[in-house]
Parts: sequence; C-alpha cells; structure tokens
Amino acid sequence: MTPTENIYENLRLELRRGCLTLAVLAQLRQEHYGYTLRKALAERGLVIDESTLYPLLRRLETQGLLASEWREEDKRNKRFYRLSGNGEQIFGQLLDEWQAINASINSIL
Amino acid sequence: MELLDRYLQAVKKHLPWQRQDDILAELRVNLESQLEDREAELGRPLTTREAEDWLKQIGPPIQIAARYQPQQYLIGPAIFPTYWYVMKLVSLWAMAVYGIVSAIQIFSADNPTWTSALEALLRAPVVLLNTATWVTLTFAVLELVVANYPGVWPGIPGYPVDWSPAKLPALEKDGAPGNKPRSHAQAIAQVIFGFVFLGWLLLIPQYPYLLMGPGAGFLRASPFQLGPAWVAFFWWIVALNVVQLGWRCLDLARGAWQRRRPVQEIAIKLFGLIPFVILLTQPGHLFVTLKHPELDQSVHGATVDTINHGIFHALQVVCVIIVLQLAWEIVQESLKAYRKRIAATL
Repeated sequence: MTPTENIYENLRLELRRGCLTLAVLAQLRQEHYGYTLRKALAERGLVIDESTLYPLLRRLETQGLLASEWREEDKRNKRFYRLSGNGEQIFGQLLDEWQAINASINSIL
Repeated sequence: MELLDRYLQAVKKHLPWQRQDDILAELRVNLESQLEDREAELGRPLTTREAEDWLKQIGPPIQIAARYQPQQYLIGPAIFPTYWYVMKLVSLWAMAVYGIVSAIQIFSADNPTWTSALEALLRAPVVLLNTATWVTLTFAVLELVVANYPGVWPGIPGYPVDWSPAKLPALEKDGAPGNKPRSHAQAIAQVIFGFVFLGWLLLIPQYPYLLMGPGAGFLRASPFQLGPAWVAFFWWIVALNVVQLGWRCLDLARGAWQRRRPVQEIAIKLFGLIPFVILLTQPGHLFVTLKHPELDQSVHGATVDTINHGIFHALQVVCVIIVLQLAWEIVQESLKAYRKRIAATL
C-alpha cells in the first residue's frame, strides 16, 4: 500500500466508524440478531465485517444504547438486539447531528 | 463443522474470561447462520478449501477476540500531550543533572581519566531509559485511574481545569535576547568597546591593579606569585579578543552586522575553551608558586598546595559548565537550522 493509499484508507475508516454506529442504531429500531443485522445492513449497501459488527453490538449494549435477550428461533438460541429507551434518545440526537453535518457538506460541495 | 469449532476454540482463548462463554455462543450462532446461508446458496456443504477461505476472510481468531476487549490505552489521547511534554522536560533535566553530577565525580577523582568519562557517557542511555520508564509508568497509572474512575478525578486528563487564556505566558519577542537585529550604532559601539577592552587587557601585565585592584599590592607583598601557566592563559585571552574584534570589524565592513552569527559565536566559544584547557593541563597544577621556595617552603608550602588544589577544581567546574552550555547552544542552533531546512523544503 502506498503512503497515499494508506492515508486514504485511514481517513476512510475514520469516516466510516461513526457512520456505522449510526447505521446499526438505525437498523436496530427493529429487533435483529447479529447475522440478520449484518445481512440487513449489507442489503442496504453497508457491508460490515463480522469482526467489527459483533463486538460493536456488545459495546453499544454495555453503554446502555441497546437491549438484548437470548431467545430460541429455528431451534437455535440467538441473542436479539434492539434499541433501548436511552438508545432511542441518543440515536435521535446523533441523527440530527449527522443530518446537520450532511447538509453542511452538501452546501459546501 | 470441525473447522468452525477449531476456529471458535482459538477465539475463546483470547476472549475476556468473564464473558467468553456468552460471547462464544453468540459468535457461534452468527457464524453458523452465515454458513447455512452460504451452503444453501451453493446447494451443498462447503469444501474444506472454501471453509478455510471463509474463515480467513472473517479474520484471525486473535483479532476477532481483541475487538471484544474493552478499549484500553497505556497512555490515552487525552493525556498523551501532557505525557509527551513532561517526558521531554524530565528527560532534559535528568540528562542535565546527570551530566553535571558525572562531571563533578570525574573531575573530583584523584586521577580523572578518559575511561571514567566514557563510562559515564555509556551510562547516559540507561539513565534516560530509567527516566522514561518512570514517567511512562506514572502516566500509565494516571490513565488507568482516569479510565476507571472518570468521576473521581475529572480534572486529570490532559489540561488543568482552571486553564485560562489570561494565564498564558507573555509573548516571546522574536529576537530576545539574541535574534534581534543589531543597529549600526550598536555594531559600532561593540567594536569601539572591543578596542577599549583590548587596550585595558594589554595594560594588565604592566599595571596589575587594573584587574586586581588593591589585591595587586597584596600579591606584590606576599610570598606568592602567579605561575607561568597564567601567561599562556593571558595571551590566549588576548588572541581570542583580537579574533572576535577582527570578526566584528569584518562584519561591519561587509555591512553584515545586523544578524547574529551563531556559527561564529560557537566558534569563538570553542576557541575560548583553549585557555582553560591550557590551565587544566598545566603539569603539577602550579597556578600559584612561592617567590622564594627555598625560604618559604616550610611555612607556606602547604598553603600553596591548598590554593592550587582549589583553583584546579574551580577551573574544572567552570570548564564543565562552559562545555555543557556550549553543547546546549550547539543542539539549539542545530535544531533551528534543521527546522529552517525543513521549512524551506515545504
């Protein structure tokens, strides 16, 4: 990887990091377990690695933004996640922020 | 699938032990669902090669497990600027103190040798490493406290809570004290005073009271006299002043008096070390001798030895201070030159 490519890759990851959290929170307004969440996001064009998404779910749950429960589905025990009350509030704030940034960027461009 | 079981087993080894069963169960069901989907798409089980490629794509077990670990820095970004500032400051002071202490130890030994100086020099990196270790350890503990008890010490990370722009240090003048361009009048005054000083210096051998005041009379009446090494010392000082004065006259003639010339200043200071080296290498350290040793040796011999010993150590200390100051100036000027060169390439 050339230095320029490396710089681009770092900036791209930095840009994506916050957006991924927002996308996960948005998608978890509906209940999902890890794999279906990943599929749902991928279907909307946002591919996330397993090694990024699954630990992110744990982190967001620890922060109180997500609630989870183990439940049986298709003869398998799965951990389902959804947005918690606190998560909904923070998601709303983050969405406002993201929209404001997006509008600003668009007006600059 | 055996390969998946082996993969999960490898992940488990690196997971936080309190939550590893829970994390592993979740990871297993997610990966098994993914595997089922893949197999359904293909209409057959994955071959060993395909399964290997799939797991390889997910990532090494240690990397997957690491993402489940709580984020922990040794020195976090909030504290790092303070850490780096303290590190530079403490390292600099540690080296300065070490340098002075080592120099005093070396020169106060009965037989100062190059070997002991070399040993002190070789110990310097160890001192620096020890200093860096202690500073890092202190900040690592601080980071740990801040990360785990953010409410307890909210003011620790990075900057003081009572920071205020009004408390910022006064603006440093660009040239203070040495960079300010010299005026023509200043340059001329320096040359004139240089000549006056040189004249005064040259009159000292004939009229010692110009330097020593009433002490000259005391020295004349006393049984002591200055040793021959002072003659060489004196003429080196004269030569130094002549060179410096010549340089200033040249600058004035070329119209180059405005800016200070760091290389020139350092060269003069290096030149200024020579008279001290001459004194220090004087055989027998005879800075003061008896006018009539055959008469006064029994009475004043011990006093002369004590005086010479004292002068020798005082000269050593002065020499060390000059060398350290010179080294510091060379480092500063080299850094300035380096920064200028970098700036010029940008």
